[in-house]
Amino acid sequence: MNRAISRTFLVIGLLLCALIANVVYIQVIDASNLKSNPQNRAQILQQERIKRGNITAYDGTVIAGTRREGSYWVRTYPLGDFATHVVGYDSLRYGRAGIEKSMNDVLSGQSTDLGVQSWIDRVLGRRPRGGTVRLTLVPEVQRAAQQALSGQRGAVVAIDPATGAILASASAPTYSAATLSKDWPRLSKETSAPLLNRAMQALYPPGSSFKVVTAGAGLRDGVVTPQTRYVDTGVYRVYGGKVVNYGGEVFGPNTLTQALTFSINTTFGKLGNQLRHSRLIGGAEAFGFWKRPPVELPAGEVRVSGRYGDGSLLPPSAPMDPLAVAWAAVGQEKVLATPLQMALVAAGVANGGRVMKPYMVDSVISPQGKTTAVTKPGTWTVALDADTAAELNAMMQEVVKVGTGTAAALAGISVAGKTGTAERAGANQAWFIAFAPADAPRVAVAVTIEDTYGTGGEVAAPLAASVMRAALAQGRLP
Amino acid sequence: MRARNTELAFLALAALVAAAAYVAVYAGRYREISHWSLIYAGIYVVIFALLHLVVRLRLPEADPYLLPTAALLAALGLAEIYRIDPALALLQGRWLVVGAAIFALTVFILRDHMRLDRYRYTIGLIGLLLLLLTIVAGTVINGARLWIHVGSFSFQPSEFAKICIVVFLAGYLNDKKEILSMPTSRFLGMSVPQAKDFGPLLAVWALSLLLLIFMRDFGMSLLLLAIFIALIYMATSRVVYALAGLVLFAVGAALAYQFVGHVQERFAIWIDPWHYAATTGYQLLQSLFTMADGGVIGQGLGRGYLLFPNGTPVVPDMPTDFIFSAIANELGLVGAIGLILLYLVFVWRGFHIAIYASDGFSKLLAAGLAAAFGLQTFIIIGGVTRLIPLTGITLPFVSYGGSSLLANLMLVALLLMVSHRANVIRAGTAEERFRLAEA
Repeated sequence: MNRAISRTFLVIGLLLCALIANVVYIQVIDASNLKSNPQNRAQILQQERIKRGNITAYDGTVIAGTRREGSYWVRTYPLGDFATHVVGYDSLRYGRAGIEKSMNDVLSGQSTDLGVQSWIDRVLGRRPRGGTVRLTLVPEVQRAAQQALSGQRGAVVAIDPATGAILASASAPTYSAATLSKDWPRLSKETSAPLLNRAMQALYPPGSSFKVVTAGAGLRDGVVTPQTRYVDTGVYRVYGGKVVNYGGEVFGPNTLTQALTFSINTTFGKLGNQLRHSRLIGGAEAFGFWKRPPVELPAGEVRVSGRYGDGSLLPPSAPMDPLAVAWAAVGQEKVLATPLQMALVAAGVANGGRVMKPYMVDSVISPQGKTTAVTKPGTWTVALDADTAAELNAMMQEVVKVGTGTAAALAGISVAGKTGTAERAGANQAWFIAFAPADAPRVAVAVTIEDTYGTGGEVAAPLAASVMRAALAQGRLP
Repeated sequence: MRARNTELAFLALAALVAAAAYVAVYAGRYREISHWSLIYAGIYVVIFALLHLVVRLRLPEADPYLLPTAALLAALGLAEIYRIDPALALLQGRWLVVGAAIFALTVFILRDHMRLDRYRYTIGLIGLLLLLLTIVAGTVINGARLWIHVGSFSFQPSEFAKICIVVFLAGYLNDKKEILSMPTSRFLGMSVPQAKDFGPLLAVWALSLLLLIFMRDFGMSLLLLAIFIALIYMATSRVVYALAGLVLFAVGAALAYQFVGHVQERFAIWIDPWHYAATTGYQLLQSLFTMADGGVIGQGLGRGYLLFPNGTPVVPDMPTDFIFSAIANELGLVGAIGLILLYLVFVWRGFHIAIYASDGFSKLLAAGLAAAFGLQTFIIIGGVTRLIPLTGITLPFVSYGGSSLLANLMLVALLLMVSHRANVIRAGTAEERFRLAEA
């Protein structure tokens, strides 16, 4: 009888061990799945009881604050629709986006970046308090950027070329985070996609603004100089196809500098085939194409620029025939770029060829008011050597002085820039990338307007000027 | 008396844990530490000190680990119930006092479990009547007919019926074990008992099916059947009975699935709770979420998110069926495993007592009670963790519920009696043995 009793004990012991294994599965192996499950209301409600940290502009102005409502905290937006796409939203129903998502650990007080007191609070089981996220956005510049876009579809990005700090990032049309849950059904269906952060999430053909990249590749590798001569007949025939100029213009003999100044497609098409596939694409990669800019936004909210086929990024080595190379060199073909990437191209030239890591979180401030983490600027990629950058800088100044970008000129300040007018679905995608002052750059911008009938020089250049003016009027920038 | 000193030392340890638990829970609720938190611990300590004295007086040679294990389980349960609903903890505290009285009465009046063997048919009948009573007079809660209401007082007879049935089966099977284990015919090369010897097995099987159909008490019917299979196997040492029992269980489960909607529903939720997330699967999913939230070290006693802002628990029925989820949340994986190990210790001591008992009835009684305790734990924890389909049954000593607490304290008293008797017979003095025979 004892043997049977021992065996029964063994069976029951094994059953209890099965319970242990199952609990390990739930609490360790499957735990993160269960925690992030949208049905998990308690998890979300728990978050709502935490006083979320503020999101402020560089000067400390509160962009997203909190207000008490019973035992809950509700987000407030004292500046209204200010940098909405950057700040994002924190919604019970629709989840999180933007800085609210990527910096959630700090904002909800769970980050280790918040210092000893937060840690003590956690050990004592006190409800955590959120830390403040201070952005690099400068209110005046951001406002100028938003104003520039008003009534249009497009984006503006302004960067401090020396540090990579993002001074402004605007996308239009926008939405209101305060009334998100009410507006969501409409917003998510709207054809103008107001929820999309065009500044970093939208991919557009860069058109002639990409010529800066092509010229940089040519100069860097010594294939050409700014004085290299070309003859334009209005048509560059290649590989059974042709490259023509915007508006069917014919320029005759021209130098590379003139080709950039007046945006001569045929010359850049030829340059493309002088460089060939590998050096053209290599030049783009040197500016950050095919890499995700390390901005502090959620992974899906910053897209990679490069060549796209059927909606997905083609590898740099994807084959191109000479016609494709010619059109890619003028920023058409399958080349797509985000406004952020094009701003980084301008910033790279401005900063002597060195593209700084773009960032928009300046620092993290603990609930006790102590700054506990500060972003240190760093190099993201080296696009050009300093001499090449200086040559390109001079060429880009010609664009604003006498070329297609005269509308971007600022009184008493030298501006370097490049227009772009890409054809997209029957209308124009107007671009302007620029930096100023050209001899000691403090701001680099990219402006793009969707679905317009004007050119980059007509539509985007004046907007770039107003944003740069606002930036240069500021004393200290991040 | 050395055993009693060991018991006292472990009880002191349990009291320390209990005090710490109440202080933590109180601090979590009121954000302060006050003498009130210790008053609860004080009452609890007094109760178990008294129980210890009862054992010291009447069952001095009994196993020293059972009572502290039960005390620790009760302490954790009481602390967690207090944390979820202080008013409920006050009631549970009262039940603990009543349970202590029942324990003392069982020990003083019954004195020796061997007397139960004489009344086994009466006790078996009482068990049956308790179940019948529930069927006739019970009220339905959560789709199961488990409760009897008398005025404002309600109790769950099946918890007591369970013990009665174990007592009856232990006596009956001990009597019939020779006949049952006699191989008289052969089938497929195996020696098989005569068909008529399967009679009792079929009777219990039918009883548990009836329970299921009329009471919709899936948990208890499962438990009764499992206890019976375990007991008949232990009595006869014949695996063929266990196999036959499992076959009957499978047939019963299939029948139940076909004809009882309640069972189908429970089964469907078990297979895919996400499909019923907003309705019938809500409770189970909330339980899983709550446990996942606990992680490895837990949120800390009194610090988990167990209540919605309006005070309702995040898992419906949290203080009763889902108390394990609450503990796993606040004490984490460490606490959850610790709790399961406590049950394992209890079951181990129960079987240990059975093995060292001197007669067949004592062996079967102790092993049957220990098996019932372990299987009940498995059924409810397995249910709330989605290892098996969920069936409402209490977690011994931890869940809120008077009947369960009382029945389980009786169960401890019986195990201690078996243990005391065995130890006296093995190592006691002649005088002690004489006293035992007197009783």
